Parts: sequence; C-alpha cells; structure tokens
Amino acid sequence: MKHYDNGLKHFSLSIIWLWLTVFAMLPFCLVTLASFASHDDAHLLTLPATLINYIHLNNSVYVKIFKQSFYIAGICTLICLLLGYPFAYLIARMQSRFKGLLILLIIIPFWTSSLIRTYSMITMLKPQGVINSMLLWLGVISKPLTLLFTDTSVMIGLVYNLLPFMVLPLLTNIERLDNRLIDAARDLGANRLTTFRKIILPLTMPGILSGSILVFLPAMTIFYIPDLLGGSKSILLGNLIQNQFLIAQNWPLGSAISVVFTLLLAVLLIIYWRSSGNKDSQELL
Amino acid sequence: MRQFLKSVITLASIFLASISFADDKIVNVYTWSGVIPDSAIRQFEKETGIKVNFSTYDSNEVMYAKLKADKNVEYDVVEPSSYYIDRMRRQGMLQKLDKAKVPYFVNLNPDFLNKSYDPDSSYSIPFIWGITGIFVNNKSHVPASITTWSDVWNKQYANQLLMLDDSREVFSMALRSLGYSANDQNPEHIKQAYLKIKTLLPNIKMFNSSPISLLIDEDATVGMSWNGDFFKAKKENTHLDFIFPKDGFVIWVDNFAIPKGAPHLDNAYKFLNFMLRADVAKAVVLDNAYPTTNLAAQKLLPAEVRNDPIEYPSREIMSHGEFQTDISDDALALYEKYWEKLKMGG
Amino acid sequence: MRNLPYTSYLTAIYLFFYIPIIVLIVYSFNNAQYSLLWHGFSLRWYHELFADSDLWLAVLHSVILGVTAATVATCVGGLTAISLYRYDFFGRQLLYGSIFILILSPDIVMGISLLILFSMIGITLGFWSLLLAHITFCIPFVVVTVYSRIVSFDQYIFEAAKDLGAKDSVILTRIILPLLWPALLAGWLLSFTLSIDDVIISYFVAGPDFEILPLKIYSMVRLGVKPEINALCTVTFGLTLLLIVISQLSLRKKP
Repeated sequence: MKHYDNGLKHFSLSIIWLWLTVFAMLPFCLVTLASFASHDDAHLLTLPATLINYIHLNNSVYVKIFKQSFYIAGICTLICLLLGYPFAYLIARMQSRFKGLLILLIIIPFWTSSLIRTYSMITMLKPQGVINSMLLWLGVISKPLTLLFTDTSVMIGLVYNLLPFMVLPLLTNIERLDNRLIDAARDLGANRLTTFRKIILPLTMPGILSGSILVFLPAMTIFYIPDLLGGSKSILLGNLIQNQFLIAQNWPLGSAISVVFTLLLAVLLIIYWRSSGNKDSQELL
Repeated sequence: MRQFLKSVITLASIFLASISFADDKIVNVYTWSGVIPDSAIRQFEKETGIKVNFSTYDSNEVMYAKLKADKNVEYDVVEPSSYYIDRMRRQGMLQKLDKAKVPYFVNLNPDFLNKSYDPDSSYSIPFIWGITGIFVNNKSHVPASITTWSDVWNKQYANQLLMLDDSREVFSMALRSLGYSANDQNPEHIKQAYLKIKTLLPNIKMFNSSPISLLIDEDATVGMSWNGDFFKAKKENTHLDFIFPKDGFVIWVDNFAIPKGAPHLDNAYKFLNFMLRADVAKAVVLDNAYPTTNLAAQKLLPAEVRNDPIEYPSREIMSHGEFQTDISDDALALYEKYWEKLKMGG
Repeated sequence: MRNLPYTSYLTAIYLFFYIPIIVLIVYSFNNAQYSLLWHGFSLRWYHELFADSDLWLAVLHSVILGVTAATVATCVGGLTAISLYRYDFFGRQLLYGSIFILILSPDIVMGISLLILFSMIGITLGFWSLLLAHITFCIPFVVVTVYSRIVSFDQYIFEAAKDLGAKDSVILTRIILPLLWPALLAGWLLSFTLSIDDVIISYFVAGPDFEILPLKIYSMVRLGVKPEINALCTVTFGLTLLLIVISQLSLRKKP
C-alpha cells in the first residue's frame, strides 16, 4: 500500500466515483430492475416482479442470435487486428516530421457521418456501382459481380468503421516500445520472427487487448451497417434489443437480454484474463 | 463566397435569436422526418413571430418511448401514425383538441375523419396518408402478371423481392392474402400468416425501410412500396409500375396531435391551423410528394399530381383499403417472436 | 526505395480509409435527388446547402457538443486511468466493472436508461442532457486507450520522483502528462469521433431546442440520401483538412 497524502488522489477519485456511480452504475441498476418487471398495454414497466423474462430467454432463436453476433464480431476483430497491427507498427516506428499529420489523417474520414460513408459504400458496391462499372470497363469481368447485400459487404463495412478503434490504441502503445530491447534481442542473435514473438508481441499485448475490446464490443451491437449493407436479412444483438424496446414495447425482456449479454461477456473476459496470466492485461478494465 | 458569408451571417443571427426568444413565443414541433419542409416553418415564423423548435424522428416508436419515459418532455406538436394515435389516445397521452382554435379543420377530407383509431377525431388531425402496394420494374417483369399479394409468392421472383423492414407491414401483406384483416389479433391467424411468410423467404432479396434509391437504381425489381415513395421514384425511373393488390392493402395516415402537458398550447393550435391552410398544405405536399388529407389543398395541386392515379386512386380502388389500427401488446409480442424466427431463417 | 513494401501497405490502408470519402465528394455533384448512380454534374446541392441555415446551425451545435464532450471525457477518463494505475483504493474492481458496463451497454439501452435517469433527477432535455450522455459514453474509450499506454511505463520513475521530494501534482504535470500526451490525444480524437457520429443515444436524450447534425442526417436519410448531405460532408471535410494544413504550417514556423 502506497501512501499519497495529498488532495490530488481524493480529488480524482471523487470525480470518477461520482460520475461512474450516477451515469454508469445507476442506469445499469435501473436496467437490471426493469428486467424483473412486468408490462401491460398501458405501462411499459409495472409490478409484479417476475423471472419470466429470463425464462423467455431460453429460446433457440436467441441462442442463434447470440452465436451469430459473437461470430461476426470475432471475425471483424481478427481482420481489424491483422490489418491494423502492421499499419500501427509502421506509423509508430516512423521517424518523420509528418508523423503527427499521418495520425490525424487516420481519424479525419471518421468525422464524416458513418451513415453517409455507409451509403457511399453502397454507391461503390451496387450492381451498377463504381467498382462494377470500373471492372466492366477494364474488361476484367463480363457481368456485374454481386457485392452488395452479402456477408462480405457487411464485413467490409464493419471493418471500415471500426479499424481506427483498433489502430489508435495500438499506435499509442507501440510508440512506447523501447528500441533498446529490440536491439538487444537482435544482438543476442534472435531473428526477426523470434524478436517479434518474444519481445514485441508481449510488450504490445495491452494495446492489442485494448484495441480488440474497442472493436469487438461495438461490433456486436452495431446494427445499421448489417441492415444497410446486408439487406437486413438477419437479426443481431443490437436489432434484437432495439426491437424489444421499441417495436414489441417489451422493456422488461429487452432489459433482460441486455443484462444477460453484459454478464456473459463479463464472464468470458474474466475467464480469458485468468487463463492468459498476463498481469498487465488482467488489470485492464 | 458571398453566399457562404451570407449563410454565416444568417447562422449567427439565428443562433443569437434562439437565445433571446421569450418563452411565450416558442412552439416545439416533433414530426416525422421529410414531411414538413423548412420553407413552411420559415413562413410560419415570419407570419406569427413564433419561433419553431423543429425536430424529427423516423419511427413512431422512438417518439412514443420518449414521451412515455420522460414526463417533463416539452413537445407541443407531434405527428403519430394512425395506429399510434390509437395507442396514445387510449393511454391518455394526448390532449383533447379544441376545434374552435383550428378553424381550417373544415378543409379536411371527411374520408379521413372519425376513423376507428380516433372515433370522433377529437385527438388527431390527419395530415398525409399513403398506401402500401406493389412496385414492379417493367423491364424485368410483366406488371400485368401481378394483381394480388399472393402473386409475389410465385417462384419466378426467387431472390428478387424488396420488403419493407417493418413487421406490421409484412404481416399485413400475408394476413390480407389469407383473407384476414391487416389488424387481425387472433393468434391462430397470425400463426398462419407467419407460416405463409416463411414460404416467401426464398423470394426475398432484402428488407429495407427507406427504399427509394433501390427502386430507382433497380437493385430490386419487384416488392413492397408506399405510393408516395413510388411517385418520387417514378420521376427518376420511368420503367416502374405500381399495383394496388386486389386482396386488399393497408392505408396509413399520419396525424398531428398535441401531447398532454404541452407547454405552449396556444402556439400549438396556431401551428396546426397554419398547417391546415390550403396554400400551406399544398406547398408541403408538393415538397414531400405524399398524398394529402386536405381537400382544399388537393384542389390547388397541379393537374398532373391531382389526377395521378397512384397518388389519388379512385374510390373503387380505395374500397380495397383498410386503415391501420393499434393491436394489443400480446399480439405485438407474437409478431415480434415470429419476426425474429423469420429473420433467423424460419 | 528500400521501404517500398511498407510504403505501399500504408498507402493501401489510407486508400481504404479515403476512397469512400472521395466517392462521397464526387457524388455531391450528382444531378439526381435519390439515385445513387451517376446522373451528370450539377452544383444545385451546394446552392441548397448554403441556403439551408438550419443544417449549419446543427453543424455548429454538433461541433460545440463534440469538443466539450471529448475534452471533459479526456480529463475524467485520463484521471480514471491514472488512478487505476497508481492508487490502491476501495472498490477498484467495482470501478473496472462500471467502465466495462459502460462500453458494453447497447446504445439503445444506454439511451433509454439515461433518459429515465434524467427524467428522475429533473434534467431538462437539451444541451446539458446531451453533453452528460456524450461524456459518459466517451469515457471508457479514453480510459482503455490511456491505460494501454500507461501500463508500459517504468514504475520507478514515479518512485524516483517521489524520493526526490516531488509532490503528487508535480508528478502528474511534469512526468505523467508529458508521457501520456499521445494517448490523451488519441482518446480525445476517438471521443470526438464518437460524439459527432452518435445517433441512437442522442435520439433519446435530445430536447426540442438543440438539434444536432447526426440526428438531422439520420432523419433526412429516411427518404434516401439527398446529395445535399454529401455536399455538407464535402464542405466540412474540406474545412477540416484546411484547418489541419494551416496548423501544420504554423507549427513548423516555430523554432
């Protein structure tokens, strides 16, 4: 136990506690309470308390929706990591006066409405869209390819929108990498691959985890990208919860789904941290 | 550049004005997006000196959830669709209207008054309406081969159909094709509709709730469409045909209403009366292209719009239509359960 | 050129980021109201855009909201990450938990629960409710970004500074902040990006007198994307680029 006998600690802790209690814990408690409530035609939430909403969840359709959402988010995270890691690494290790500018240039496209960017992707992927016209003109294909309303188009859209959330945490983490450790490894005869596996990868693990969390979690609940680019032909967790709250007017069931989803992911993450045994990453979140 | 400067200056003045407006010179309007053009709002502000805080939603559900969850929310005018008028009226969320304060009420087409969703029209003022029918691209299909909803089940439309991304619309279609009411709440009938839609799945190409560009760009060549959207699409693609299904179709009406506890009641009435004025209603529907419920405005429309058989179909065709009303939460839950199953592959 | 593979990889990713933007810019000159195919060149959407003062007011509102929310979220989130790293205190796990919940809550659930909360504690919907909500959903992104950098610090720097008699506030301003600067910036950028693009949460906590851009765009798109919005995005994108070029040039002039 370290002792910091001055106001800064108390100041920061009280701000954080106040904020998170009021705007994170309290709403979550409200949602949890709502998940045990009933509803009728006139009231969105009412007594008596019941477990029926949780019993409803034991339903093969919901299990399917959960699985599919996990699957899509997992693939998306993996692609973002594979694309984003080398990208972040190259930029972070760059010795250029344009480095700051390059970092800014990563984020600027994302200040344009994601909805409009998604429509712009539709423009490109349409049967008569930019990509097909160009390929036809070049004579690469003789018939328009079906690009839109496929699983591929959904994945392109997701990766496009979430890639910066992988790149930025990685970038700030890799920048801190100590060159001397890499040099030392090379001096001791390690080849590139070994250096990467034994030195660089473990040291950048916190960045990888942060990035993966920031990509994986939103990917599970984002729904307008699968809706627009995939033709809305399946339901993901985001749609499921949204529909229960808005269309079916069943707030208790929507809350129950949300609570179960949160707990499930919490358990998964705890298991992962326990098994990975990486102290730093265990502490993350 | 000069235009840019000009807009900067207007912007600054609006920003300042928004701070300095007195509380009694305000009306908070919350409507469907794309219904009221900015020009109409400006005109109202100019004529009355009342500042309009104008915001929009794109589903009844969001507007309803917001009014329901927050009792202090300060909207003066909302625009629910017919079945939400029904729900909100029964739950005591709407203010009974004082018709004396809305003299232009007489402009309204009696065909849209006193419907089952608001029996004495005492809570709602119909504004625009529409029909959900079938569009066909005549380059790809023969329009005459489709006359009813049942025809879209034909195998020749495999992976071609565009469906509205709305469970009630899709179930209405199936219920009508089975000979039931679109507002049917009988669980057995809903189940039959579900089984029927399940057999349609191989024909469905996509679900979408704002499909105008998909019609024009021929991403889909047959499917469901609102007649107002179709009218807009037809202007940019002349190969489109619209069919009023003979087995019946849904008529929806979007209505103005005043929520209970509206803080600027008098201004709300002024706004409603303004919107019902023939010249204003005419300008509004010329912009949004939806059919109007305002008979006086309809007469002022250019002949090609007024006489358009898709926008304003004959009485004979309208007799196949059915107004959308609210259904119970139990029926809604059933719809949602089947909807989830359908989207997850049956 | 020795670095050719690297350079081409970087270029490819940047192209991936920018091609949709370029398409968007080109289509802002499209002479069609609803179609997403090319129908010839037109400037009419720019005329409509500059006549539409409501849209510009929404842009202004969004920028004010985004900058304020990102700044506050960076301060609170940064302090949270630092405290989580440096201090041992009661309920640390609970704090982790609540950040985790924040990032995990689906937008709609957060939107509705915040709406109920604001209604309970009597906050009128408008600028303040939006600001509180936006700060809240930005915080975890800052915490996670900052934390991933702070864990790679050398613990002994702090011990050494303390042994030399530095106060906690001096350690913060002289050691931690300079080292954390890139991560704080990254957190700010992510927060601003989230805030300027959020639709679902804002939908529920926005009031009648403070209209913001994403909501306006979202509701306009229901009828199909008018190229007017593309024109708006083009102009704002151009202005952003211009600002950055100017700031880069002015930075370089300094000795």
